[in-house]
Parts: sequence; structure tokens; C-alpha cells
Amino acid sequence: MIEIDHVSKSYNKGAVRAVDDLTLTVPPGEIFGFLGPNGAGKTTTIKMIVGILKPDGGTIRIDGLDNRAEALRCKAMTVYVPDEPEIYERLKGREYLNFMGDVYGVSGDERRQRIEHWLEAFELTRAVADPIQTYSHGMRQKIILIAALMVKPRVMVFDEPMVGLDPRSSHLLKEAMREHCEGGGTLFFSTHIMEVAERLCDRIGIIHKGHLAACGTMADLRDQAKDKASLENIFLELTES
Amino acid sequence: MSPTVALVKAALNSNFGWSVVRHRLFVQKRDRWMIPLIGLAVVSVVPTLVLYVRLLGAAFDMLKSLGQEKALLTLAILAGQLIILVFGLFYLISTFYFSRDLEYLVALPLKPSQIMLSKFSVVLINEYLTMAPIILPALIVYGFKKRGGLGYWITMPLTYLLLPVIPLAAAGLVIVGMMRLVNIGRKKDLLIVLGSLVLIAAALFLQFGLSRATGTSAPDVQQIIAMIGSPDGLVQTIGRRFPPAIWATRLLNDGLLAASGFTGFILFAGLSILLFCGLMAGAQRLFFGGLVGLSERSGGPGRRTKAGAKIKVSSGRHPVRAIFLRELRLMNRTPIFLLNGVLGVLMIPVVFALTLSSGRQGSDSADILRLLTSAKPVTGILVATMFMIVCATLSGVASSAFSREGRKFWVSKVIPVDYRKQVLAKFLHSMAIALLGIGSAAAVLIFRFHLDAGQWLPSLAMALPITAFLTSLNLAIDLARPLLDWISPQKAMKQNLNVLIAMLFDLGFLFLYGLAFVTLGKSGLTLAAVLAILAGLGLGLAVLAFALLLQFALRRYPSIEV
Repeated sequence: MIEIDHVSKSYNKGAVRAVDDLTLTVPPGEIFGFLGPNGAGKTTTIKMIVGILKPDGGTIRIDGLDNRAEALRCKAMTVYVPDEPEIYERLKGREYLNFMGDVYGVSGDERRQRIEHWLEAFELTRAVADPIQTYSHGMRQKIILIAALMVKPRVMVFDEPMVGLDPRSSHLLKEAMREHCEGGGTLFFSTHIMEVAERLCDRIGIIHKGHLAACGTMADLRDQAKDKASLENIFLELTES
Repeated sequence: MSPTVALVKAALNSNFGWSVVRHRLFVQKRDRWMIPLIGLAVVSVVPTLVLYVRLLGAAFDMLKSLGQEKALLTLAILAGQLIILVFGLFYLISTFYFSRDLEYLVALPLKPSQIMLSKFSVVLINEYLTMAPIILPALIVYGFKKRGGLGYWITMPLTYLLLPVIPLAAAGLVIVGMMRLVNIGRKKDLLIVLGSLVLIAAALFLQFGLSRATGTSAPDVQQIIAMIGSPDGLVQTIGRRFPPAIWATRLLNDGLLAASGFTGFILFAGLSILLFCGLMAGAQRLFFGGLVGLSERSGGPGRRTKAGAKIKVSSGRHPVRAIFLRELRLMNRTPIFLLNGVLGVLMIPVVFALTLSSGRQGSDSADILRLLTSAKPVTGILVATMFMIVCATLSGVASSAFSREGRKFWVSKVIPVDYRKQVLAKFLHSMAIALLGIGSAAAVLIFRFHLDAGQWLPSLAMALPITAFLTSLNLAIDLARPLLDWISPQKAMKQNLNVLIAMLFDLGFLFLYGLAFVTLGKSGLTLAAVLAILAGLGLGLAVLAFALLLQFALRRYPSIEV
């Protein structure tokens, strides 16, 4: 479970309020889609959840634990996939997976079984012994996703995970996300693809200028909007101006 | 604005970070504490500069009494060009081929020579700044002492501007050719390292050859008289292997209005322009060929894991070991880090040994040093200790340990590993490289200077804790302000202000340590007691600094935002 309680974050000594008094809860077993225009505060929120950024105020709890006071325990049950696949280019794919397995304490047997499964699924088996610097953008995205799926944590936080993925891998990822939540896990992810959010998410939050403009199921959002045709229309209406 | 000018302007802005600095200081109002710190660093250099200017004045007077004062110019110019040749090599390779902006630039409608020009401008301006504290005082002292007229003060900046062009363009040409040749597949990183080593060896050979040419090759009395007898004798002897130094000397000393000065200018400027044009022409033909492949995608199926083959997985390494391995691999597989870090610490002692060698028995600096240390064992131990510490710590490995992670620092922030354990792994890795430096220094002391175990063992015992102390200190300096937003690995190590700040702190500490050593040596205590006190002090400092570093990591890591 992820609980965000009155969280704020500003840059330039308060001149830019990226996230302003944000409060929302994502219960276990839920896929939560986080939408918003560029610069609305999505990545800032995600980075605060995983502990990369420090909020100016408010608290974030993962499974009831404060993610700053109990940082290590929170990190042990959370994986993060960034929007840019910036990883150690000089490591080989296999070495990166082993590194993540080591630091997250994944046992040898589980590691082998999960790595082989996901490498096969994402068609990366033949490239896993190559240095990451030789990978394309999509391949880098896949190796980060495989590391996240190998860890199999309770909470997954993805920032635009579908960017750079081919349709087949994108489909596979969506299935994996659904499977994760059906097993009781929590998933918080941002996306710009309305169709994905509409079809996949149990609930959707729309952030605009640092504020939560709307939050709820598709039905809830339709109730809040005048133009109920699609999520895209709702999004455009809520983020106007 | 023409594309070339726009590109050069953008490259300089990006390299020196003017826009970023302006934004941080005046918009974000961050990092303002850096201004007094930089001021302090500049002020701390003043005493050394005063000493250097005095030394130059004395050298001028001594040379003038022999009628050879022009040799001061030749020496300064030669020293400047050698510094550029040796230190510019890594910088050129890194800037030409490892900048992250290259893949964007290549896609723009720009000629290879335009991209090369923008990169060359960045290196050139950096070299002007690097040379300034060494060369400018010599040229200024000469001008004042010689009472140079307006002509001198006009030609002096002109000469200074031309000074780095010949060595940089020559090195650039070799590098462009080498990169085109070595960029032939999977082993390119290894070939880049090997190629760079060959270039460094060539530069060292040149330096060694020049040092022999400057008079350490046993000239007889008649040769010395003949050399001093001619007004250009010493200039010719020094500049024999590198004529541009003689041309620049004539340009500066005789002025543009004299025939010899004008000829010097034509030759000096002509060769500079020729090499520069050669580099641009070479870039036009070879630059992209050397670039293609630096970010290439996986090619043929040759070495790839076969379908169905078992993937090698580790079975639960300790996180400290896993992070240590990551540090080791990232350093050893990034050519710029490997050359500056690992090979740097291994080579500095060897270069030092070579520099002190004249090859002749009796007048060899090594023999003189040996005699000195055998007469006063305390001095020998102090010198050997300092040598080991300098070789171990000044590489910049510890003071760039966090900066080297760059934009990948987010991984260190999200993994469930205690920050203290992460810092421990970085400490162990920095110490491992420092130990290579100590080992290399010890080998030089034992095999080149023939120090006996009674001298190098105590030195080793004292150098180890101080190295550990300075490693913790250097890690803390980088942790306080890691440079994570770099586009070229060179920026993370050699152009990182943290490395310079750490070096100043290290040298300041070593000065105090040496002072303590000498004071204790004169206090009447036995040698064993002095060594025991200093070793104990070192150990105490090492333990304290490491404990403080771990506490600092707990406070600092959470506030580093990427």
C-alpha cells in the first residue's frame, strides 16, 4: 500500500511548486495510473515515493512505514523503473541483473528461474551477456523491467514504463503488471498513453500544476467531467489552462 | 549566427557551465558558499606563486650573468608545450570521442570538421587556463626583467595564444587516426586504452629525450664554453629537439620588427596553422569513422548467449561485495576512468623515476637522493612516506567516487542497502587503487632507489593509515557536492572541482604532517619513538575520519537529489 499524505515539493527555493499538498492512497492489489501534462509533477511525486527526492512537507508511507524514517525497509519492498533508462552502460546485462539480485537479496534459485523466464519473455536472452552500452533504448528499458520483475517486490513504482517498448513487450508488461496486482501487490505508474490507463488501471489520478485535479475509477472520472466520451476528453477538460 | 559559431558557443557554454552557474547562483540561489571557497583556494595559491616568481627572477639573473637569459623563455615555452602534450592526450580523447553529446551532434546537419572545431575550442580554452599559472609568470617576469617595450607586450599574448596549438593539433591528428584504426569491433575499449598507453609512452620518451638534450648528457667543458659563448647557445641546446620553442623565443625576444623575430613568427604561426588545418582536414575524413561504433548496438550473433544456455547467476553476494564489484567494473571498463585512475597511480611513480634518471652513474638524481637518505635515515623515511602517500591519493579516485556515478546515482538512492555500506564499498575500492599506487611507489623505491627494508617498511607502516585517512577525507569532499550531471567521463574525474579541492586539502595536510615529522625528529626523541607517535596519529586519524564519513553518509545521501 502507498499512502501519500499532504506531500509538497518545490524547486528554486519555493519559486516553483512542483507538487502541492498531494494526498492519495493506493491500496494493495490496485493498479494506480498517474496522469498529467508535462511538468505537472508526476515524476517528482514518483521520485518522492521511492526516496530519490525529499518532500518539503508531508509524509509517504509504504505498507504503513514512513519512507524516510524506515527508508531501508521501504526500499526493500519497492522497485522503481525510471522514465529514462539510465543504467550502468559498462556492465553486461547479466551483471546488472545479478547486481540488483544481490542488493535486493534474491536467492540464487529464484533469481535464475525468474531471470530466465523474463529474459525469454522479453526476447533478451541472446543479448544478456553483452555490455548494456550496446543495447538500444528499448533493450535498456527491458533490462530495467526484468530486474524489477526479478525482485518481485510488494510495491512497484514505474515512470512511463511503456516508452521505447515494442507492442509485444508492452503487452507482456501489462500482463505482468496485472498479475502482480492480482497477487496482492501494489502498482503505481505514470503514463501518457490514455488507452493504457483506461484499460489497465483500477483507479486513475490526474495531476495538474502540482495539484490532484481528479482521482477515482473511470466511472468516477466520467461523473466529474462534462465530456464523458473518453479518458482523453476528460484529461483535456481537467488540464485545460 | 553561423552554425560553426553557434556550435562553438554552445560547446563552451556546456563545458564551463556558465548558464548552469548563473542559474544556480542567481535564480536558484544555491551553491553561493562556493564563491568564498573558490576565493580561499585562489588566495592559498598566492604564496606558492610569489615563491615561483622569485625563483624565475633568480633564474633570469643567473642566466643573464651568462648572457643566456633568452633560455628562460625557451624553457617556459617547452615546459608549457610538454604539459599540454602529456596532459592534453586524455583530455582530447575524452572530449573528441566520449562526450555524450556526440550522438546528438552527429545527427545535426554539421560537417565533422565543425564538430571537431567546437570540441577543439573547448580543449584549447581549458589548456590556456591550465598553462596560465606555469607559463604566464615566466613570460611576465621576463618582460619586466628585460624591460620589454610595447612590442614585447603585444607579441607576448600572441605567443601565448599560439602556444598550445602545435602540441594539441599534433596530438589531435594522431588521436583521430588512432581512433579510426582501433574502432574495429568489440575490443575497441581495450584498443583505446592500449593506444593511449602507446601515446603516453611516446610523450614520455619525448620528455626523457628532451631532458637529456637539456644538458644531462655529460657535456664536456669545451661544449659548455661554446654553448655559453654564443648568445643563442643555451636556447639552441634546449630547443634542439623541438624547434618551435626556438621560433617562439625569437619572436618574443627579438620582436616582430626584427628579421629573426618575424621569421620566428612566420614559422611558429605557420606550423600552428598547418597542423590545425591538417587536423580539420583529417577530421573531415576520419572523425565520423572513429565515432561510429562508440555507441553501436549489438551486432552479429557471434558471442551472444545461445538460446537455451544457462545464464550465469551469482548466489547472494553480500551487498558490500556487489557494490565493490560494480565500482571495480565501472572503473576498469571506462577507458577514461581506467587511464586516469588505475593506470595513473601505477604510472606516476615510474614517470617520477624516469624523470630523475640521467642514466649516468654519479650524477643521477636517484644516486644523490640515495646518498642524502642514507646520511639521514629520518629524511629518507619521511621522503619515502610522502612519496607513497602522494602516489596513492592524488589520483582523484576517491574524490570522484560519487561523481563518477553521474545520472545513474538514482540506483544508489533506491536500492535497499544502508548508505554506510555503500560508502564502505566505495572506501574499499578507493583503498584498493590507492594500494596499487603505494605498491608501485614501493617498487620504485626498492628497485630504483635501492631503499632497504629498514627504510621502506616504516614508510609503508606510516603511509597506510594516512592514505586511509585521506581516502575518507576525499570521499567526504565528493559526497558533500557530487558532480552528477556530466556529459563526458573526463568531467567526472579530471575537470571535477572536487578533485582539485581534495588535492589542495591533501597537500595542505601533507605539509602539516611533514612539519610534525620534522619537529618530532628535532625534539630529541629516538627514531622509533617518532615513528610510533606518527603511526599512532595516522591510525587515530584514519579511524576517526572513517567513522565521521559513515555518519556524514547517513546525513548527506538522503538530501542528494537526482
